Amino acid sequence: MASSTSPPHPASEAIPPTNTTTTIATTTTTKPCAKCRSQPGTLDSRGQLVCPSCFQKFISQKCIKQIGLLNKDVRSSSSQSLSAYHSTQKNSGPPQSSSRRYFLGLSLGPSSAALLELLNENVEYQVSRKKNPPFELSVVHREREREKVEECVKRLAGRYPRFEFRVVYLEEVVGLGSVDWEGLGLGDFATASSSTTENDATTTTSTTASKLRRLFDNLPSTTSRTDLLRLFTRHLLIAEACKPPNKCHALLLGSSTTALAELTLSETAKGRGFSLPWQINDGVLGVPSFSSSPTSSSARPANSSPTSSHTNKPKAKTSEDQGILIYHPLRDALRKELVTFTKLAGEPTPIAELLPETDLTTTAAVVSHKDLSIEEVMVRYFADVEENYPSIVANVARTTGKLMRLFGGGGADGVEGVGGDASEDDEERLCGLCSMPLDEFGDERWKGELGEDSYRDAAVTVEDEGEKKMTKTTKQRICYGCERSIRV
Amino acid sequence: MAPALCAICKTERANIKRPKNHARVCKGCFLTLFEEEVHHTIVSSKLFYPGERVAIGASGGKDSTVLASVLKTLNERYNYGLDLVLLSIDEGIKGYRDDSLETVKRNAVQYDMPLKIVGYDELYGWTMDQVVQTIGKKGNCTYCGVFRRQALDRGAKMLDIKHVVTGHNADDVAETILMNLLRGDMGRLARSTNIVTGDASSDVKRSKPLKYAYEKEIVMYAYHKKLDYFSTECIYSPEAFRGTARGLIKQLERIRPSAILDILRSGEDMARLVPGESASSCGCKGKSKTPAATATEDDGGIGGCGSSGAAGGNEMAVMEKQLRENEAAEGLEVDVSKLSLAGTPAESETDGAVPLKMNKNSKPVTRQTLGNCKRCGYMSSQEICQACTLLEGLNKNRAQIQI
Repeated sequence: MASSTSPPHPASEAIPPTNTTTTIATTTTTKPCAKCRSQPGTLDSRGQLVCPSCFQKFISQKCIKQIGLLNKDVRSSSSQSLSAYHSTQKNSGPPQSSSRRYFLGLSLGPSSAALLELLNENVEYQVSRKKNPPFELSVVHREREREKVEECVKRLAGRYPRFEFRVVYLEEVVGLGSVDWEGLGLGDFATASSSTTENDATTTTSTTASKLRRLFDNLPSTTSRTDLLRLFTRHLLIAEACKPPNKCHALLLGSSTTALAELTLSETAKGRGFSLPWQINDGVLGVPSFSSSPTSSSARPANSSPTSSHTNKPKAKTSEDQGILIYHPLRDALRKELVTFTKLAGEPTPIAELLPETDLTTTAAVVSHKDLSIEEVMVRYFADVEENYPSIVANVARTTGKLMRLFGGGGADGVEGVGGDASEDDEERLCGLCSMPLDEFGDERWKGELGEDSYRDAAVTVEDEGEKKMTKTTKQRICYGCERSIRV
Repeated sequence: MAPALCAICKTERANIKRPKNHARVCKGCFLTLFEEEVHHTIVSSKLFYPGERVAIGASGGKDSTVLASVLKTLNERYNYGLDLVLLSIDEGIKGYRDDSLETVKRNAVQYDMPLKIVGYDELYGWTMDQVVQTIGKKGNCTYCGVFRRQALDRGAKMLDIKHVVTGHNADDVAETILMNLLRGDMGRLARSTNIVTGDASSDVKRSKPLKYAYEKEIVMYAYHKKLDYFSTECIYSPEAFRGTARGLIKQLERIRPSAILDILRSGEDMARLVPGESASSCGCKGKSKTPAATATEDDGGIGGCGSSGAAGGNEMAVMEKQLRENEAAEGLEVDVSKLSLAGTPAESETDGAVPLKMNKNSKPVTRQTLGNCKRCGYMSSQEICQACTLLEGLNKNRAQIQI
């Protein structure tokens, strides 16, 4: 069952038999596929009727285009500023240009599952042509429902034996050095994970989990919880991808066009417009290290007062070394297309059948609209727009991509070039929660324009003591959007 | 149950929950807070200079009425030394403007301010009712917005006034930001967040002192101040992008009250990230073109949504079609890159340059240069300004009908 006999390369004509029969039944009324003209067109693809095989080809072309760019990027960057990758890869022998190691974040939703299938197709295709596999891939899952997830990952591991699967649990975020726990007023989160490896692992894990649950319960809103969950998941993925000795060359995320459009609008609504270019575009992202743990060789000294971290060069260097290339290979495919794709693609059964029955990435019907998160509002909105105006969805993500990455504090002359240049990381300070560059110029101006004090005072009165303390300690170490998430 | 006390004065009963941050305050403190926040905006953005003559774009709606009231209060309280004038546009919409103009006339008396009313018919030879008769209800908001934008400026010129303030509130600006993101219009996104539009070279400067004021708070202020305003929305309602953006804003506000301000913050920050735009959020430098994205007066519903709206019909459908055509044209490009990867995994591009990923899908953001309309002399980025172009179409139709 593991590896299919015929390489399902992009041009594969494989159509599940059930699908063929239904197609034949309706042939009399359907037009031929707008692309191949030989098969009946049964699927609507951006205004054209196409056959399932052409549809799959279309999706896989969109993906391959991005993977091609990624491969080029990895090749050129590994010869330049990111040579650090090779120095950390001592165990994997001499650096070979052909052995790239990618890391895929798998949520078990349709988009990331589609990406898994597409990458597998690509690898199998290359192998079938007697070429070296173009890359190795590790896959990680972000946990929701433990048993279902483990079961599902087992099924996927059987289907894709070339890839290595790992399941990462949310509580592993506790203790990660990329989060400024102390700055968040959560000093006791900074060290917890080191003790999980000790003998009483189970008890420690449960206390870590309950600590985390308490943190989430105390957040002010569903939006805040959703936001923090997303950020923690991201931290985990990046941490796993960067884990020595097998640091990966890139982290791949399955975000569809629709997901990127949702992200654009929800991050805008959460006050994170400034960091959108880092979130939406592909490229190298700096990974901060706030950890004072001696085990991390490159960690900066433990003096983490805001003033010292501002001019702390060693820290900046750390973030450069720990930069990671993040790519969204499915950025040109719509979510609904990927859902269709997972129902068509895969040998011997469509990949959709391996996924959990209920999509774990979306929540069920909501009782109160007030309890929706901002993210959910956007998901619903774009599901609607995607149906009738798919190109408008695509246009949102594309034009947001035109925004420049601007480094914090630079003001007018801080207009730096476009992404991917890791050497620019020297000057940026990163948010202690979301790891995005801090925008000191914007913060300053905003305070001026809004008379920040008056409205903050008013806001504080509706908060309880604990949160007030949080506000004080987190000032200027996290970005505007993160402050909103954990404060109001 | 003991009534909660106002968070500010701690003496009065807190009978108001501020929509902006849910702070509980008393009526008196709310009114003062609201005024002080507008004052802060005015001072920090250096909107006025002593002795300046300022026209308030007055529609009789809540926003412009509150703006007039607050400006009068602050002008007296802080000795701005402003010479305030009410400027109204009569679009010629029966059942909408007739009544609201009566409101403005009463406001003029209440606030002791001079009032100037400029009609579309005298400026363009067309009332909005006549426009709707000719082109139908769809797309007419474009006409209205384009015409009014010029009308305010022309009216100000007639009065020899160089500064018009409008009642745009935070919801309007947030709406415009989301709308431009949805439309993928980065140029307008950059301009729409400015509190001041129009530059030194243009005749009339525009500003929106209520930029940070929530619509709900404006309504509250008008209510508690017992202001006399006209509350009917325009009978030719907005459509497509603006409508959809407005719906989103309302939903977001319900979930997280700060969302409107957060969108403004995002929008201002993103404006600095648009290639070719200056880093300042103040519009006095390098901003070409007339305040295109700030066309709406008052209720903000009538979007002078500009280019795409001019096509009439459903804005979103038109744009969808256009985008699909572009995509079809780019089809070949996709195939080429696919071939280069599938066929030859080791491409020959070894120039070592880090690819400029940011731009791989992008066309440069179009920049506009300021000129003057050849027909009416009004400033425009085109040879013929939008208003004259629209008029040309209208007049052609009228000629045919007469034949």
